[in-house]
Amino acid sequence: MSLWQSIPFACILLPLAAAALTAALPTRRARYVAGFVLLVQTVLSALLVARMASGNESYVYMMGHYPAPWGNEIRVGLLESVIGLFFSLVMTLSVLGGLFVLEQELLSDRHSLMSALLLLLSSALQAQVYTNDLFTAYVFVEIMTISAVGLIAAHDTGRGQVAAMRYMIMNLIGSALFLLSIILLYDLTGHLLMSPIHDSVGSLRGSGAYRLPLTVVVALMCGGLAIKSALWPFHTWVPDAYGTSTPAASAILSSLVSEGYVFLMVKLIWRMLGPETIVSTHVNDVILVFGIIGMISGSVGAIRQVNIKRLIAWSSVAQIGYMYMGIGLGTAAGLEAACFHILSHAAAKALLFLSANSLHAVSGSYRMEYIRGSGRRAPLAAAAFIVGALSLVGIPFTAGFASKWFFAQAGLAYGSLRMILVFAALVISTALNVVYFMGAIIRIFSPADDGLSRPDKRVGPLRYVALAGLAGLTVLLGCIPGQIMAWITEGLSRFG
Amino acid sequence: MLPSWYLLVPILLPVIGGLVVGLCDPVGKKDRPRTWWTGSVLALSLLSVLPVLFSPALELQLFRLSDNLPVFLRSDDTGKYFAAVMSFVWCLAGFYSFGYLKGEEHLPRYYAFCLMTMGVLMGLCFSGNIITYYMCYELMTLLTVPLVMHEMTPDSVAAGIKYLIFSVIGASLVLLGIFQLAPYMSSWSFAPGGILDAEKVAGHENTVVAIALIMALGFGTKAGMFPLHGWLPTAHPVAPASASAVLSGIITKAGVLGILRSVYFLIGPDLLRGSWMQITWMSLTLLTVFMGSLLAFRENLLKKRLAWSSVSQVSYVLFGLSTMHPVGVVGALLHVAAHALIKNTLFMSAGSIIRQAKHTRVDELEGIGKRMPVTMWCFTLVSVGLVGIPPCLGFVSKWYLAQGALSMSGVPGFFSWLAPAILLISALLTAGYLLTVSIRAFFPGKKEHAPSPVWEKCEAPWIMLVPMLLLTALSILLGIFPGALIRLFEGLAGLVM
Amino acid sequence: MLIVCILLPLLGGALLPLGRFPERSRLRGILTEAVVCLTSVLIAVALFRGIPLEWTLWEVFPGAVIAFRCDGMSSVFLGLIAFLWPLASLYGFSYMEHEHRPNAFFAWYTICYGITVCVASAGNLFTMYLAFECLTLITLPLVWHKWNEESVAAARKYALYVLGAAALGFLALVSLTALGGADFRPGGVLPAEIWAAHGDLLRALYVLAFLGFGVKAAVLPFSSWLPTASAAPTPVTALLHAVAVVNAGAFCVARVTWFSFGPEMLAGTWAQTAVLLIACCTVVICSALAVRENHLKRRLAWSTASNLSYILVGVALMTGEGLTGALSHLVIHGLMKIVLFFAAGAILVRSGKEYVSEVRGFARPMPFVCACFSVCAVAVVGIPPLSGFVSKWILLEAAIHTGRASGIFAGACLIISSVLTAVYLLSVVTAFYFRPLSEENRAWGAEHHDPDLRMKLPMALITALVVILGFWSEPLVTFIRSLVP
Repeated sequence: MSLWQSIPFACILLPLAAAALTAALPTRRARYVAGFVLLVQTVLSALLVARMASGNESYVYMMGHYPAPWGNEIRVGLLESVIGLFFSLVMTLSVLGGLFVLEQELLSDRHSLMSALLLLLSSALQAQVYTNDLFTAYVFVEIMTISAVGLIAAHDTGRGQVAAMRYMIMNLIGSALFLLSIILLYDLTGHLLMSPIHDSVGSLRGSGAYRLPLTVVVALMCGGLAIKSALWPFHTWVPDAYGTSTPAASAILSSLVSEGYVFLMVKLIWRMLGPETIVSTHVNDVILVFGIIGMISGSVGAIRQVNIKRLIAWSSVAQIGYMYMGIGLGTAAGLEAACFHILSHAAAKALLFLSANSLHAVSGSYRMEYIRGSGRRAPLAAAAFIVGALSLVGIPFTAGFASKWFFAQAGLAYGSLRMILVFAALVISTALNVVYFMGAIIRIFSPADDGLSRPDKRVGPLRYVALAGLAGLTVLLGCIPGQIMAWITEGLSRFG
Repeated sequence: MLPSWYLLVPILLPVIGGLVVGLCDPVGKKDRPRTWWTGSVLALSLLSVLPVLFSPALELQLFRLSDNLPVFLRSDDTGKYFAAVMSFVWCLAGFYSFGYLKGEEHLPRYYAFCLMTMGVLMGLCFSGNIITYYMCYELMTLLTVPLVMHEMTPDSVAAGIKYLIFSVIGASLVLLGIFQLAPYMSSWSFAPGGILDAEKVAGHENTVVAIALIMALGFGTKAGMFPLHGWLPTAHPVAPASASAVLSGIITKAGVLGILRSVYFLIGPDLLRGSWMQITWMSLTLLTVFMGSLLAFRENLLKKRLAWSSVSQVSYVLFGLSTMHPVGVVGALLHVAAHALIKNTLFMSAGSIIRQAKHTRVDELEGIGKRMPVTMWCFTLVSVGLVGIPPCLGFVSKWYLAQGALSMSGVPGFFSWLAPAILLISALLTAGYLLTVSIRAFFPGKKEHAPSPVWEKCEAPWIMLVPMLLLTALSILLGIFPGALIRLFEGLAGLVM
Repeated sequence: MLIVCILLPLLGGALLPLGRFPERSRLRGILTEAVVCLTSVLIAVALFRGIPLEWTLWEVFPGAVIAFRCDGMSSVFLGLIAFLWPLASLYGFSYMEHEHRPNAFFAWYTICYGITVCVASAGNLFTMYLAFECLTLITLPLVWHKWNEESVAAARKYALYVLGAAALGFLALVSLTALGGADFRPGGVLPAEIWAAHGDLLRALYVLAFLGFGVKAAVLPFSSWLPTASAAPTPVTALLHAVAVVNAGAFCVARVTWFSFGPEMLAGTWAQTAVLLIACCTVVICSALAVRENHLKRRLAWSTASNLSYILVGVALMTGEGLTGALSHLVIHGLMKIVLFFAAGAILVRSGKEYVSEVRGFARPMPFVCACFSVCAVAVVGIPPLSGFVSKWILLEAAIHTGRASGIFAGACLIISSVLTAVYLLSVVTAFYFRPLSEENRAWGAEHHDPDLRMKLPMALITALVVILGFWSEPLVTFIRSLVP
């Protein structure tokens, strides 16, 4: 076991420890600690990816000295490390961009708690990426839920509280379903580690026994995670939750938290249950349909919004729909496209929320009438917004275009209903996205001589660094998607 | 021996003359130099046509449209005949217009387009293939629209646009026909009897026959054949009389020449004789003959009456062509000249009446013969000719037409008696709508208990009278000595059939 | 060499706002014109000397490389835009003296030149699609330049229609790449086995691609963005929406038909019938809508939509002759239509009048403009010997030579459209010359109001070319015929 192989463990433990530390520190120090820890985490993840990409095999890492099946283990491969790196990167940039401008929105005694919650969230994310057993997964899912609720509730307005309550209720329901499925699965197979469960389920499927319980397990598991990641029709809490939280929080919640659950689902489907199980129970068809409906209803909901933050939140619903469409196809290509979209959406959505916040800073409100003309007042932030918007529409040279490409190729099943559904959904969704994003862009650049009073603020340099970083990431994903996808494909092949 | 480039002279001379008038004299300050210039150009153009008429056929290849459509001029007998008629009458109408339009506005524009149209008409007559013909045909439409719209009142502009639309529809039908016919043509020049390649046509006769009908309808627009004749009665009352004269007398003949060329020199009468196309075409012409005369009879506005008369008379020509019989064709070609001479005279007199006596309606023309004797004598003499009473040229042409109707073959038998019957009825109606004018003009009738009216003389100036007299004299002369013309036409007819 | 031709206008345009020129600045005009002329000269030199224009970048997706390569068809389109762009910029300098923020305007205008060169010289379907989308984005700021309600609504419609419909083209692109053929090869890039295995799918994708790329060429049912976009300043409508953008759409459709899918596999199938029907309907219906339209620029926009579908009919006939007719019409129509838009813009700038009913009698105060308009209007109707007839004839010939009933139907549609064109264009000409000035214009109309030399020179040059090409069209037509595979 060489030292670099402990990197994932460090990525999980370090933020956890730092969270405890920052809870005790005053605000300023807490922020610096959080920023520093996340930066370190990112660098380590990058090192890990470099190692894995240069030909190393996936390996299993024992936590503690108890071997499986009694002890805990995590599994590390190319796919997990790429996803882990991305999550760290986006988290770092969001924190850089959002954590240091909190004064105006929170009570001062909550600030240090924010840093602690963010670190907890990061740790939980990394754990979900690398975990190889269900129990750990569940624990960290809960930790992530609680920290997310905390992040939402930190915004001390009435709406913030209501949003937090809604979020908590829906997520707890989802967690309950997830827990139920774990219990049933343990009952059926007697294991909590994913690899043995895979063999077990395989033999169950082959023998044809316990077909109904297996279906129920799959349904509950997918349902629970779907609720937590806001798949249609479980999406109603999204606009409030993302629309009312602080900038860093909304960026991270919408881009990372939901996607953490999606990646967990990918892992469960591929490694634990096996794609054949999912397909044989037809749960994936349901997911496909829900995903497509989500794509369309999310965009339709966004068109009617008058508040730019809620517009972006509704667009998240649509983007989650894309991912579930990919998963619902049930093929390796579909899962790979969904993984790529995790990356692209993470970058673009964080970018959008942060730039929207910058535009808000020079406009005084998130409402569209106030946002009008903010492009002239904060041109670089507006440029960042445009990059994010173009990515979600799917313009070439952005990450979103690459996602669309991979989804289309995944859907290309030469003459089946599925292909027509996927194609039609992509076209309609593109058109709908154009409607509201073009509307927003036009609004941002219109001349604002309407007499509304706007604050005379400037955007801080650290925010610009974050925006530039995220925009660069989006464009990079758009320009060399082939390379990234090659890693994902290779990683997925070794994932099982 | 004339060099072949000489063919361009009668075409380009008036065009350049017209451009000079139009561009160098925009506000029209000086009347006299402009009149002299235009008059000289007209006369010179007429003179320049003469050498072409008396030399053997010339050919000239100009440029190519696209890479395979030659623009090609050739002066064969048909072209020479039409060129002679058109240039002579156009020249006289031009001189007439000096008097008619004296003192009006926008004269440079009128003369410019008048001259340019003459050039394009020469191009039309000397066209060597259907594409050149089509090109000159479209240009002619564009150049004559300003003549119709000359007065610039809302009515005349509307009439001009109606003329334009009808002409464009007609030209489009022709273009439709041309491009559908293109695969069957063996070359791109006219030849008597048709140039279709018999092997390519085999099996597609029905298509070719349909195309022939389309082209007849297309060219028939200009010639005022039903169903696309509607522009004629609208355009004539609002255009200046000198323009109406040439519209009726000459421009309609461009449509006639087009049909002549398509049927006899492009497709060939052998393919069409006895087909449903011939029957349809003949029925349409007869219908127009009858309808035109009837509507002229009922019309009270003098120029509109003459317009309907044109509709009817030109369809005589078309009927003659549709018989596809040598005698009928001779009659048709004779009537081309007859109608050109006669109708121009009629319009010229109508114009004189409008200008001098300010009367536009027929019921106002009581006693006008006493006030304008020369004009009305010309009117009467040519009317007599148009009805078909000897010794005018109109009688000779109608005689041949009737003969052609009686002796034609290939069509159902009842046409042989129906056609002459319609021609006769139309002749009676013609007498009715023309001679009543003359009678009313010379014998106004006395009212009881009313004092005798005083008939003050208001004869037209000599520049308007001389062309009328010349045309009348020529129509009577040709009626008495039609021999040369008949021989020419019989030669032509023999060539194409 | 190609790198320079693409990057020069792109960077030149992008760097222009840094100069921070004042509103009325001659230096900006001189710099812009210099950049544009230099690019055009380079392109011309490359085309005439036969210098190969190629540039390969990196591979974005497996099977999809960004690569540029100019072949015969590219040279036709490149030649047209290289000739017209300097003239349009010159016209624009004079026009934009009446509008605001010229710095931003000319920056985007020049960048657009570079992107159009990219579209023309795209070496495979992937690159062409990328350039196509970028062209849409770059032209958006030009459409909404005026920032009034009309322009903003026009920009939204344009974005929605073109970006939305381009997704259809995207589907074809992805599928072709997956099946192994994102490249361009004359006659089609997919081997016969793949056609045998997936024939119906490929044909359906072709129809989608036709619609997706054709939306820029304003096919039905996506035509209405074009008249709405005439709310943009006239240099934009003239060059972009009459020459560059819409021609790019038609060009892309021609490429996709001949170099991606291949006419052999499409001719005679339901796919061909579908696209031919769409194109023919556009031809007729847009002409009819032009007749009803009273706003001059919108009328010209409907006319453009109709004429662009002439090109698409030529492509949809799927014969070499059809393609010849299509490419000829691409060039010739571009020349004729840009003069019409220039004239409309000059009238707007000088008199403020936009409607056909308001421009009666304008031949007296603006003789030059009306003369150019009239000549080019007659050319668009297709009256010989002007050049409009040449391309129309080739299309008609191609239609009849297919030997099928659909060809005759297409020919008839073209002719019906010519009649309608005569109505809606020649009525404007007669309004100029044969109607008296209306009461409110009489005082204004007493003096001469022809625009300055910067507007007159482009109009005169291009009108002269239209006339000359009518008499001397052989070289152009022979050249185009030689390109067709």
